[in-house]
Formats: sequence, C-alpha cells, structure tokens
Amino acid sequence: MLSRNGASGHPGYYERSRGSVGIDSQNRVFHVGTDVGGTFTDLWVSDGAGPARVFKTPTTPDVMTGVMDAVALAAGTLGLSIGDFCVRIRRFGHGTTVGLNALLTGTSARTGVIATEGFGDTLEIGRIRRQTSGLSEYEVTDFHLHNRYPPIVPRHLVREVRERVDATGRVLIPLDEAQAGAALEELAEAGVEALAICTLWAQANPVHEARLKDMAREVLSDAFLCVSHKIAPVVGEYGRMATTAANAALGPVAGRYLSRLEQSLRDHGMTVPLLVMTNAGGVLPTSALNDRPAFTLFSGPAAGVIGSRVMADRLGRDNILTTDIGGTSFDVGVIAEGRPLASTEFSVAGADLRLPSIDIASIGTGGGSIASVEFGDLTVGPRSAGSTPGPVCYGRGGQEPTATDADLVLGILNPDDFLGGRMRLDTEAAREAIETRIARPLGLDTIRAAWGIREILDNNMADLLRRVTIERGHDPLTFTLLANGGAGPSHAWSIARELGLGGFVVPAAATAHSAFGCGTGDLGMSESTAVYVRVRHGERPSDAALGAARDALERIERVVTYHLAAAGAEGDVTLERFAAVRFRGQTNALDVPFGGAGFDATIYDTVIDGFEAAYERLFGRGAGYRQAGFEIVELRVSGTAALAAATATGHGDTPRAHGSRPVVFDDPDAPVDTTIYHVDYPAPDSEVHGPAIIEFPGQSVVVPPGAIARADAYGNLHVTLEARP
Amino acid sequence: MTDQSPILYEIIRSRLMAITEEMRIALQSVSGSPTVTDASDFFTGLFRPNGDFATMGFQVTYQAPVVGHLIRHINAAPDKYRPGPGDMFLGNDPYVGALHQNDVQMCGPIYAGDRIIAWAGVEAHETDVGGMDFASWSPKARDVRQEGFRVPCMKLIDAGVLREDVLDTILTASRLPDQLGLDIRAFIATINVAQNRIDQLVARYGAEVITGVMERMIDGSEARVRARLADLPDGTFRATDFLEHDGHDNRLYRISVAMTKTGDRLTFDFSGSSPQAPGFVNCTRSGLEGGVAGAMLAMLAYDVPWNEGVLRTAAIEARDGLICTAQFPAPVGAATVEAIWVVSNVAVAAINKMLACSAGHAHRAQAVSSGTMATFNLGGVNQYGEPFGLHLMDPLAGGSGAFADKDGICAGGPINAPMPSIADVERNELVAPLFYLYRRMGHDTGGAGAMRGGRGVEIGLTLGGISEAEALIMTHGAEVPNTAGGFGSWPGATVTQAMVWGGVEAGARATGETESFGPKPGLMRMTDRDLFCVTWQGGGGWGDPLDREPEAVRADIASGAVSPEATLTLFGVGENEDAATTARRRSDMRAARIGRAPSSAEVSGRTRMSIGPNLRVVELDGAYHVVSAAGARLSTDHTRWREGAITVDLTGETGAQRIALHEDLRMTGYYCPLSGQCLAIDVHERDGLPADDIDLALP
Repeated sequence: MLSRNGASGHPGYYERSRGSVGIDSQNRVFHVGTDVGGTFTDLWVSDGAGPARVFKTPTTPDVMTGVMDAVALAAGTLGLSIGDFCVRIRRFGHGTTVGLNALLTGTSARTGVIATEGFGDTLEIGRIRRQTSGLSEYEVTDFHLHNRYPPIVPRHLVREVRERVDATGRVLIPLDEAQAGAALEELAEAGVEALAICTLWAQANPVHEARLKDMAREVLSDAFLCVSHKIAPVVGEYGRMATTAANAALGPVAGRYLSRLEQSLRDHGMTVPLLVMTNAGGVLPTSALNDRPAFTLFSGPAAGVIGSRVMADRLGRDNILTTDIGGTSFDVGVIAEGRPLASTEFSVAGADLRLPSIDIASIGTGGGSIASVEFGDLTVGPRSAGSTPGPVCYGRGGQEPTATDADLVLGILNPDDFLGGRMRLDTEAAREAIETRIARPLGLDTIRAAWGIREILDNNMADLLRRVTIERGHDPLTFTLLANGGAGPSHAWSIARELGLGGFVVPAAATAHSAFGCGTGDLGMSESTAVYVRVRHGERPSDAALGAARDALERIERVVTYHLAAAGAEGDVTLERFAAVRFRGQTNALDVPFGGAGFDATIYDTVIDGFEAAYERLFGRGAGYRQAGFEIVELRVSGTAALAAATATGHGDTPRAHGSRPVVFDDPDAPVDTTIYHVDYPAPDSEVHGPAIIEFPGQSVVVPPGAIARADAYGNLHVTLEARP
Repeated sequence: MTDQSPILYEIIRSRLMAITEEMRIALQSVSGSPTVTDASDFFTGLFRPNGDFATMGFQVTYQAPVVGHLIRHINAAPDKYRPGPGDMFLGNDPYVGALHQNDVQMCGPIYAGDRIIAWAGVEAHETDVGGMDFASWSPKARDVRQEGFRVPCMKLIDAGVLREDVLDTILTASRLPDQLGLDIRAFIATINVAQNRIDQLVARYGAEVITGVMERMIDGSEARVRARLADLPDGTFRATDFLEHDGHDNRLYRISVAMTKTGDRLTFDFSGSSPQAPGFVNCTRSGLEGGVAGAMLAMLAYDVPWNEGVLRTAAIEARDGLICTAQFPAPVGAATVEAIWVVSNVAVAAINKMLACSAGHAHRAQAVSSGTMATFNLGGVNQYGEPFGLHLMDPLAGGSGAFADKDGICAGGPINAPMPSIADVERNELVAPLFYLYRRMGHDTGGAGAMRGGRGVEIGLTLGGISEAEALIMTHGAEVPNTAGGFGSWPGATVTQAMVWGGVEAGARATGETESFGPKPGLMRMTDRDLFCVTWQGGGGWGDPLDREPEAVRADIASGAVSPEATLTLFGVGENEDAATTARRRSDMRAARIGRAPSSAEVSGRTRMSIGPNLRVVELDGAYHVVSAAGARLSTDHTRWREGAITVDLTGETGAQRIALHEDLRMTGYYCPLSGQCLAIDVHERDGLPADDIDLALP
C-alpha cells in the first residue's frame, strides 16, 4: 500500500524563499499545484519569474479546508488578498488521496451492484486472490492474516439479473426487464447512493448494460450510476466489476469534493478550471472526471513521477529513477526513454482495479523502519514505528530504534533543526536505544550498530531500484536518481553509490514534488479497449480480426482526442498507441508501443517484431517461442497535450556555512568533521564541497567527502560523487 | 562459514531474497501454463551445493523439497552427469524426487571458479507430459510406465548451449508441445537470471561470503522453528483422513499420522496408513515429504523465512509400500491431488491440535482447508480450430478452515499456496471452449461450528463455440469429508459432481437428465448441450455450532452462507425469533444429544493448560484431569478424554451439512456428559473408533 507519512501537524509554514517576498507588478500571474497528503497539504506556486515557492498546511479531515488554508497562506505570503491571488491563477493543478482514503476506511458511498445471474458472488470470490490484497511479502505466508479487506460491496447489496452475452458478443439470453426492474427497486429500497452495473461480456456487447442504466435512471434517479464497459472495458469480470464498484462508491464522495473545491476557488475569483492529476499521469479538468473518480485514486504518487518527468525534460535526461523516502515506505517511479513505466492493474482495499496507471514500486522501508535483533540477526523493517509513536528520538514514547534514530546518532540529522526547526530530537535517547537493543546483543559499538542500520536500509532500497530497472531490461547505470521526500536527500549518496551511479539530483521542490507535478504536468488521458487477435505459428491474422482491432483503436482515439480538446488542449494532441501482446497461451502480456495510423497487417508485423525484441530484452536470448503463435488482447491510446507551464528560474542565496559536526560516512570508526550549510533556495551555480550537509527547511542533503553539490538554474541541486577506483 | 558481520549478512540475505523474487517474476511472466500463472503451482529457489534450499518464492509449498532431490541425484553420480559451468539439467521422475511426472524441474549449478557454490532450481506443473490419457492422469493406469514420460535427469543445456535434439524429444511426447516449450524456455530464463545475479554478488563479496550466508539463513530458520516448538506442549497428536477410489475400484484408503513433539523436535509417523493402491492415487516418498513440508511451512513457519531449516526440525517415519511411500512401478499420476493432498490434510490437522493446546498459539489454530482438488480436464479441438487441452484451476476455490478466533474464508482455497488465484470466467471463455452458467458460493458447504468454515465454490458449465469434447472428471472427497473440523465442529461439505445431459439449451438451463457421479467417473464425451455441475468442499469449522453467536448465524442466513433449514438443524437458530426461543431450542438440542437435561458441576483445582476452546487440564489432589467447560471430569492421569464423553453415531445425520459418506465410513460425535456440548466429531472406518487424537505429556 502506498502511504505517505510525514511529521506531525503544525501550523502552516512555507519552505523555500523564507526571506522577504516582494510584491511585483500588477500583471503577475500564477501557476499553482496542490497535493493533499496524509499529514500535509502541499502547495507549489510559480510566477514564472522568481523562484517557485512551496507552502505546507496541515491536512484537515474535510480535506478542502486544508487546501483553502494553503491557498490563503500562499496569497498572504505573496502579499495578496486571497481574491487577488485567485484571479491571477492561470493554472490550478490538484492531486488528492480523498478517494483512496474513502476506500481504505470504508467511508465511500453505499453502493449496489447489478451482475449477471449466476455471478453475483464474483466480488467475494475475488479470483480467490482478494484474500491476499494489501498484504506485504512478509504477511502473505501467514494465513491468519489473510482476508484483510471484505469484498468492496457486501453481498446483500448485489443483485443478479437474468441475461447473458457470450465471448463473441452474441446475446444468448435477452435481458429479463421485469426481473431487472424488481432488482433495481430492491436496491433503491436498500438505500444505495451509487450503482455499479457489470454484466458478463458487456465490453463485447454493451446492449444490456446500457439498457440497465436507462432503467436505473428511472428507479434510482439520484444515485451515481456506472457501467463496466465504460469504466474498465477489459476482459475479466472480477477486475471490471471491482473497478466499476470502486468508481461508483467514490462518485458521490470524490465528485462532491472536487465540485466544492472548484466552486470555492471560483467564488474567490479563479477563472480557470480545476485540473486534477489522474493515475495515468495526465491532468484533466474535473468535468472529464466527474463520472470516473477512480481514475484519480493515485493522483499523488502519479503526480510525483510526472513532476520528475517535467524536471527530466528540463534537464535533458531520458531515464529517471524518482525516489521518495517517507516515514513508512520507499516509493520508486521509473521513467525510461522519457516514458513513465505504466501498469494496467493495481490492488487497493481488497479490489483489483483494472485502470491504466503510472507504476510505482514500493517497499515498507522508511525513516520509521524499526531495527531489531532476533536470533542474532539484525533486521531493519518491515515493522515501522510510523509517526506515532515514531522514532525514539521524537520523544513520543517510541522504544525501538528506527532508521531515523540511526541517522541522528550518525550525525546526519541536526537535533535542533529537524523539519525546519519545528521539532527537537533527543539524540541521547536514540543512542541509548541503539546501544541496548542493537549494539550490545550483537557485540558491536553503538556507532557501528547505527551505521549498520543505515547500510541495511540503503541496501534494501538499492535492491528495489535494481529490481525495477534490471528486471525490465534496463541498465540502472543509465538512469539519473532523483531524491525526494524528507529523508530521500540524506540517503541518496549511499544508495547511488551502492548502485554505481555517479551522483543524484535533489529537485527544488523535493519536499512537495507531487504538488510540483500537479502544477506543471501536461493534459493527458489513457483509454484502452479489449481486442482479440489470435494467430497461430506461420499464419496471418484474419481480415475480420484486424478490422475489429482497427475499429476499436479508432474509437478510443476519438474518445481521447475529444476529451483532451474539451479539456482545453493548447496546440497538438500527441497520441501514443500500445498493444498488449503475448505468445498464444500465455497469461501475461507485454505493452508494445507502435506507430502509424489505423491497424492493418503491416502494423501487426511491426507490433510482433516489437514484441519479440522487447521479450528478448526482458527475458534473455532464446526465451521467446514464436512456434506458440501470438495473441493481441488489448489496445491502448495515451494522449497528451502540452499546457503552458511556468519556468521558474533565477535567483537565490548562497549556502551559508553554519558550523560543523562529526558525521559518520563510510568508516564507523572515523567520523568526519562536516560543514553544515543552511540555504532556502540555492542560487544558480552555487557550489558546496563535501563533506557537507546542506540543511534546507524540511530536508538535509548529504554531500559525502569528495562529492560536490551544485545548483542549477531551476534551483535543483546536483550532487556529483567522487569517482571510485 | 566465514566470519560475517551481522550487517553484511543481512545485506546479502536481502539480496538473495530479491533474486528469488526476480526468478519468480521471470518464470511467471514467461510461462504459458495456467497452473503457473494462476495457481502458482511452481517453484523457484536457490540451493546450497548439497541440495538444501536456502530460499523459495511464495508458491505451492509441496514443491519445497523437490528440486533438492534432483540436485542430490546429480551429486550422487557426478561421473554420469558431469555438471559444468553453463549446464542445466531437467528431470521429472517421481522415483527420483518429483511429486508426479507433470512436475518438470530444471536446475543449474552456479560456479565460482571451478567450484559449485550454489544451484538455481525451478519447477512447474505441466498440463500434459504424455502417457495414455490427456493431462497424463489416467484412472486406468496400473503402472507408472503407462503415465507421462519420466526423465530421471538429463542435461538440456550443455555449457550454455541448448540441446535442441533433446528438447525435441521431450516436446514430442507431450500433447501440448507449445505450452511445454514456452515453459522450458521460461525455466532457462529463470535460471539465467539467478546465475547472472549470483555471479555479480560473488564478484563483489566473494564466494565464501555468499555460501556462508546461505548456510546461516538455513540455520536461522531452523533455530526459529525449534524455538517455537520448544514453546509448544509435548505430546502425540493424531489425525486420520481418507481418499476414496483408486481409478479402478471405489475402495477407501487411509492416511494416518501420529505426530510426536518432544522438546524442539517433531516426528511424523505415517505407519498407520493403507498399503499402496493399484491405481494413480499413490505418491512416492518425495510426495510424502512434500505434503508434510506444505503443512509445516504454513502452520509452523508462517513468520519464518522458508527454507530447508524449517524442515530439519522434523523426521518422517513410514515403511516402504504404503499409499504415501509407493514403490516402483506403482502409478502416481494424480499424486498431488490425491495422496499428497491428504498427507497434507492430516499433517495440518495434527499440527493445529498441538497449537490448540498452547496458550500463545491457540487463537490461530485452524481447521482443515479445501481438503481436495477436484479435476476437470477437457480436450479436443477448440473454437479456433486448434487442438487444445485444459486443466481447470477453478477447483482451487474450496473453503478455508475456520480459525479458533474467526470464520474460515469463503473461497479461501487450500493452504498449500500462500497466494493462490484462479482465472476470470471471461478469460476461460475467451481462450478455451467453455461456457459457464454460474460460478458462485455453495451454501451449507462450510463446516458448522462456533466459528464456521469458509464456503466452497460451485460452478455449472458447458462447452462454448464447439459442439463436443472429451472430459476427464475425478476427485476424492466426494464420499469423504476431508476438511476435518476442530473441537466439536462439523467438517465441510463433500464434493458433489454431476452431469445434466441435455441440461443446456442455447446458453440457458434446460431440464435434461441428471446423472450424479461418484468420485471418479473418469473420461467421457460431453456436448454443448450438457451441463457439468460441481460443488467443492467447504472448510472445517471450529467448536460446537450450538455455541455460535445467534447474530452470526442470522448474518449467515442473510448472506446465503447457510440455508434456513441447516441453520435450524445444525446451529439451533431460527430466522426470526427472540433470544429466549433460541436459547430454549439449543438447550433442548443439547439434552437430546445426551438423553438428559443439561447441567454443570463445580470444579476446583488449578488449570494447567487448555485443550481447544472447551477442555482444560486441571491439577487436583496431585493428579491431572481433563475437565469440560461444564465441569465434567472426562479422564484422569492422561488426556485421552474421549473415554469420559458420550458418543453418538452421526452417520445418518450428515444431510444438512451436505456430506455424503463412503460405505466404509462412519461419523461419531463426542459430547460432554453434563452439558451436551459437542467436543469432537470424528470421521472413521466402519470397524471401530479411532485412537484418541491428543495425548499430552503430563508433568
């Protein structure tokens, strides 16, 4: 599960540009990105001239208040009234986990499901794998922990209707409208606020779903209605039904929230539409998302990757590993050849959702990971102290030492200036915990034990980075490492070195990277369609199959183009096409990009060539087996349209030396006297030589001995490690 | 072992786990077998040079010891097999170490210089490896040589070069050469991944460090399981289960275990099992080891890294020639779903009886899950005009056994795979000529208990897009309730399978003529007008059903888990009634069990331990007594408490629980003589009651 866990709630503050903020000319306009996390609501704002700014306010239970607080804080700091600020906003991007939290806590709308007769238990059976949803790799072996999440809709709110369409789209049993009407009445009586209609093979022939929706409009006139062939037109009734049900359950909650937020901003004078980040990494106006809220479930993490892509474009880098170390998890997005790695399925709250999304790999390793010794073995994680009680050094009752405690003992963290000075850390308590619980049982001295905790943590994270690159056929050495999140920049040097990378980059908006992505990402939309082209070895695809694929492709291209135009695309829409291909008989398919227009025998050949090449890259020479034949099972179109983006550049301060302290780098027996620098926003080309720690509000960048940190024109900090023999 | 710091150890241990995960992804991504991609009936792992596994993925646990046997086989004849760098070996012989011939294994040595420092191993269930019937499971076989091909061990990759001639020989023997060909390539890719990653580790840290870490990982898991065992009560715990029909005759076979725990050691004694059968239901000794491994990993090592160290804590005793130690040339084609599955059932039951007597573990003690895997294989020409063969994975969707503290999971499946999965109905209908009329939960299938067993799933299907095909239908557990309940609960329902000839008309249900099947009807033609209906076993329950919260029973009625009739008969709860009515009915039912009004007695003395939810061992006047919740003293100086209970023959009462009993089986309930609380329900042979199942070592 992806989760963000930061520090405790504090009054709003802003990071970066803590100094005086001048009031510029009257024609100043703003680009704004916001992201609502579990603890903080981040707001990134740029006026296109000076440095961009980041503001943070505590997230509020109703979410919206926190966003409006951030807007007010930004306006006030910029010396504007909230109205004067809002009227000057040229773009307002937004990411939120409102939907995700509603699903995880079961506070979404009361939802009914209409299913084909004989298949009403589909959600509960859940391909029998629902029981392991949400379990980590450390938990799945314990059957007592299985079945953490109940079915996304309880069985008593599911009704079966008599109808049946077969795999070819032929109607075998016509819809029994009298019985369906009665089923809808029962659900109306049960008080459902949302309805998911998912019948077998509706993606092949939606006639029954369409009719059921018309009927439901009469009976359940106030309910939020979803049909599966629109929400997730994929083969596989469990994922399609779960996706449709999740979407329905979110409709009344997320839809209401977004309209209220948009209205509130309009009331304050904002003239542009609210743009929301989608799972797939493009922003869309709320009007395009009102009927598909599930498409924004993972907007925060997706926005982080998109922010990295925006930055990578500006830096001229194609391959990016974007990392975020939070309190409880380490999340990684991969951008290869300019394209974020995508997936077509994810699992949340016990439901498999079949939606195109940016793939984020995650392990339960973070600053709160607990170090322990059992049977003489030292492990770090998977248990986490989270933010409550949190690390021992927080002084909130945590007894077990964590990775953050180790960082403190090693001198990485400043006990007096943690989180911008909002919290004081108890170094002595951290040292004591590591001494008694780790060092003594292992027969090590305390510093070596703390060093070991960090080594293990950093190696676990490097393992994940290796996995997400190598197993997908990429060489990690061709990637640039971006370090985000509170703890990311203090561990990046060690992770980069473990991977053999020459350095890493700390983005200017590292502590609010998702907000940055929401404020800068392009318009974008993905749409997929199930197709079935099945070809035996040595044969050619039939004209009928190719024709059906071409029609399906053109249809989704029209949908994507239409929505992007309606969303106010400025300039050309770029369409990328993907085919999901597998050897005949396989279960898993590979996404193969292809060019050209339409879909014919020539394009089929290109797709197959692309598939075989990708297959070989992934699984090694000789792994392919063309004798098995091929299947194309899905086509997907991803459209993007550029939006005018603010390019913040310019000035800043020179990092100021602020004393020194001993810090343990590679040799636990020899701490190195390390200069501490303070800076809010580093001026272009300002340079710091290691050993140094650059303390920003909210994060510390560790520059090991021999390394050099240099700021670029955007305020990003590039750390180059000393070449090792 | 070289001296490693705990820090270096942990770093390399994590890396080896990451490599194992990469191996899993490589295999599962490339494989063309639904047994691999959905049912996760495969294995990936890293081995020490001697064949001990140091890591494994989260796959079918019966397979844990299997590839190790192949490696030991190579080690025992180095001059014959001559392993060298870049080599990979293939084997599938159940008389060498496979569970049955469908389990095709490959392994490759990993070298540092000229020394083997580890092996990478992989295995997957292949749908067809030849033999007289499709899927290589032949009910008619009397000899292993009539079943799938057997390869004791052969070199498929010689110094990095694939021996195409050898591969052709293998593929030619299969009815599904494309599927097998894809999978063998997946094996190669998987071993390549492991060799490549380990090479990098060796280059950086040195071979000694890597081998030392693997050794320590195994020692570490052994130490953890031994510590857990030391914390559990000493004693002997027995369980018996049966399978019926050997392919030729509907005979009953017994698999019986006496598990003795002393200190930090376990012994599983299977001597009480039936002699080997003339048909394909047997398993070899490697199957026996696999079944026990499956139970131990899930039930004793749920939070311990899975490797050879877990298995080292136990010894297995069984003479040759039993149904679970069959001797050449006994057929073993269906071993995994027959003898091995039942071995696992009894090992699970015995371990959980032990857990139920431990204060620290009693809450997580579990009844038996999904006691069978019924088979529906289909072959012919599919809707695309291609020859096809399908091994339906849906039968994994039986119910989980109840835990002491919560109900079993409906469609939770067996405990032999931590992350099981079945395919969507739509996927099955797209790639195979199937058409489902329903796939749903089977009511009244979960064992009735204070905690209810999970429901099993049931399906009804016919052919789609073709007019006829050949089906192979077989199971055990149609007349044996394999999912034993715990401490007074019912077992889950038995499998029912039937064909409704002419039961489908244009995709809709038609009247037709129903033929109910026994356990193994075998091969038959079916058409797109015939409806095959099957309901799989629910999980066993836990505790007396009359102790189930009335509210939970009413929720079962609302969800359809239990029918109103069964609620009344088994749980004593009516659909719309007040608490007093329910209490009165339940009291009457308890009275009927023992033939007098329920009562209770005061018991003094100190409780020394508990046996399940309702029995205690009490120390009084220098002696130990087993005492029921109502205060009845059932046994003294030993824990064979059944001698003090009232027994009732339940053989004629199994209808409400949807249980059919083989003619040689009986069911007996044991009740507290004071309260009428049900303390145990045993399924046993006609000729007599079984031995007591919990014999604790008293101080």
